[in-house]
Amino acid sequence: MIDNGLLVQMLLGALLGLSVYLPLAAGQLSLATPAFYAVGGTLAALLSTRWSVLGATAAGGFPVLSLLLELVLGGALAGTLALLVGRLVLRLRGIYLAIATIALVEIVRVAILNLPFTGGAIGIFSIPQPFTDASGYLLTALILLVLTGWICQRLDTMPLGRAMAAIRDDELAAGCMGIDTTRVKLTAFVLSAVVAGTSGALAAHFLNTWNARQGSFDVSITTLAFVILGGSRAWLGPVVGGLLLTALPELLRPVGDVRLVLFGLVIVLGPVLAPRGLVSPELLERLGRWGSPTREQKP
Amino acid sequence: MTSSPATPSPTGRRAVRSDERRRGVLRLASLLLAGIGAIAWLGRSADPASRPLAAGPLSLGAAIALTGNANLYGQDQRIGLALAERWAQQDAAGGRAVRVWLEDGASDEPSAIAAFNLLIRQGVIALIGPTLSQQAFAADPIAQRQGVPVVAPSNTAKGIPQIGHFISRVSAQSSVIAPLSIDEALRRDPSIQRVAVFYAHDDAYSTAEVQIFDKALAARGLTPVTVQRTQLADNDFQTPITNALQRAPQLVVLSVQAVAGGNLIRQLRELGYRGQIVVGNGLNTPNIYPICQRWCDGILIAQAYSPELNTPINRDFQRLYRQARGDRRPPQITAQAFTAYQVLHEAIQRLHSKGGLTGVTLGQARVRLMHELLAGRYETPLGPIGFSPEGEVQQQRFYVAEVRMDPSGRDGRFALVGQRSLNGARP
Repeated sequence: MIDNGLLVQMLLGALLGLSVYLPLAAGQLSLATPAFYAVGGTLAALLSTRWSVLGATAAGGFPVLSLLLELVLGGALAGTLALLVGRLVLRLRGIYLAIATIALVEIVRVAILNLPFTGGAIGIFSIPQPFTDASGYLLTALILLVLTGWICQRLDTMPLGRAMAAIRDDELAAGCMGIDTTRVKLTAFVLSAVVAGTSGALAAHFLNTWNARQGSFDVSITTLAFVILGGSRAWLGPVVGGLLLTALPELLRPVGDVRLVLFGLVIVLGPVLAPRGLVSPELLERLGRWGSPTREQKP
Repeated sequence: MTSSPATPSPTGRRAVRSDERRRGVLRLASLLLAGIGAIAWLGRSADPASRPLAAGPLSLGAAIALTGNANLYGQDQRIGLALAERWAQQDAAGGRAVRVWLEDGASDEPSAIAAFNLLIRQGVIALIGPTLSQQAFAADPIAQRQGVPVVAPSNTAKGIPQIGHFISRVSAQSSVIAPLSIDEALRRDPSIQRVAVFYAHDDAYSTAEVQIFDKALAARGLTPVTVQRTQLADNDFQTPITNALQRAPQLVVLSVQAVAGGNLIRQLRELGYRGQIVVGNGLNTPNIYPICQRWCDGILIAQAYSPELNTPINRDFQRLYRQARGDRRPPQITAQAFTAYQVLHEAIQRLHSKGGLTGVTLGQARVRLMHELLAGRYETPLGPIGFSPEGEVQQQRFYVAEVRMDPSGRDGRFALVGQRSLNGARP
């Protein structure tokens, strides 16, 4: 049985999956999502615990409007960082880009660990709560997910989305056709950072505490697994992957100590049985055709 | 150019497929949204606090680390809880039956939150856990908001009981215990001047404890000649050890987790260090013996528990431990988990005999249990303990142990070498 607290974690997982998907839609394997997630979370944790103007009460309450401001600021700071770093790292391709983004995750983690105002390894705790129970977080995370999903869907019909798809298929050809590949890749990278930063800001309040462990290399791998299991050719793939893989360890609790073995099996067998992910373009086409008159496949 | 439906051009086919895909996305997204909505609706009322307290056995929830990097501690805690249940069954003539629901709180914050939420929803009267202090900062506020008493069996960081009035612990803060082992090292060799300190700078427990060691050293007029920062996941310490040994330390102080600590001790000895080693609470488990083997011999550790304490409850605890684990001595973390269960069990029995659990809702029973828990005094394997009004454990006796390894080098024991009664700490 899934409670609302777990549902919030699942939605945050789906948002992080989308954050990995966006650069991938432009053919860029970036593992930097946890770095931006950590930046957003740290900013929200610092602002809500240190900056009394936002209205945190002694009883641990926090105005919802201030949370919304933090979400915007968390996204903006992560986006700005992505803009600065993106120009450098996006010169690299494939596995080299992946390694550079892993380095970014490490740099951000070590910085948060050592900055004098982020609480070291213990981190920042007693983060005030904008909602009395998980339902408020659920609604906020759902709105964020619907908004991000809508943007991803709109991208399909926008010049930017088409340019991203062209770069994913063949970057050289796309460049020859006059697409400013650097600008398009950077835009996808920044969008990904904004999604991760905003999710981090929300997660900081939901988790009550924030520390450098939240943005570690492990999270890079977990979020990449969301995309690999769910599928990287449609935005619903990472959403399904994120929801499923976040819920699975909890849903498997009744089987006891072997639950993580089963979880590992799903991660291994998923890509073997569905190499293009659970949500492939073919599945979506079949779903779109379902119930409508069969069209002729061949002349 | 036009094309008939019977012979669509490649462009036309692409357009149709793109249209179908868009429709497919819309359908699947609506399906997901409806599913999320349905689950949210079903899961909206998660806490059964308003229901009347059932007449049957009461449930305690335990969320401890059975997986992840803290699982060495969690395994010891699981044994402690199982032994406490057996002790309570032997002791429970006419009392209220209490059973434990164990859930894996893993070693990260989201898992601890999920385990707490699950147990609270199952209607437990109180919670034991989580294993790590970092997890406690995430999960305890949830129990606090829902009014569920929490007894932490192993959280030693500063500020845990201060999370709220439903949060308490039986694990004494590092600041109370850690300095005792330094005193023992200085008693053995008063000429010590040069101290090397090692700690994992990305671990909450290590960074908190090393500050306490630093203060204790400073209070005794010692300034570390070198402080080596390691990482939680490190297993190779050749570089920091070589750096430290260049300063010719007479005493090494370690504040790291069990696996890393075992490796660090072994490598220190292998690289030629022969002086005394004082270790922190992270190495307070016999699970280090197989890692550092004969090199563990002689390390000093301050403890909140001594197997050599000769009291009826500790003898009972030792007997149960021997029955379950053979001829071995129970570690501190197992004794603390036993104690966490014991204090809740005794508070429940007192409340039951006063009639405090009759005709109340689960929520009211939780509030009454918390008051009863804090008001009580307990004879535990740790010695006599009580709680401050805030929920901080008040323990009087602490111990310093030395690890003595068997000639085989495979197994050993914590041998008591010193005992300290702290004045001002009320039992």
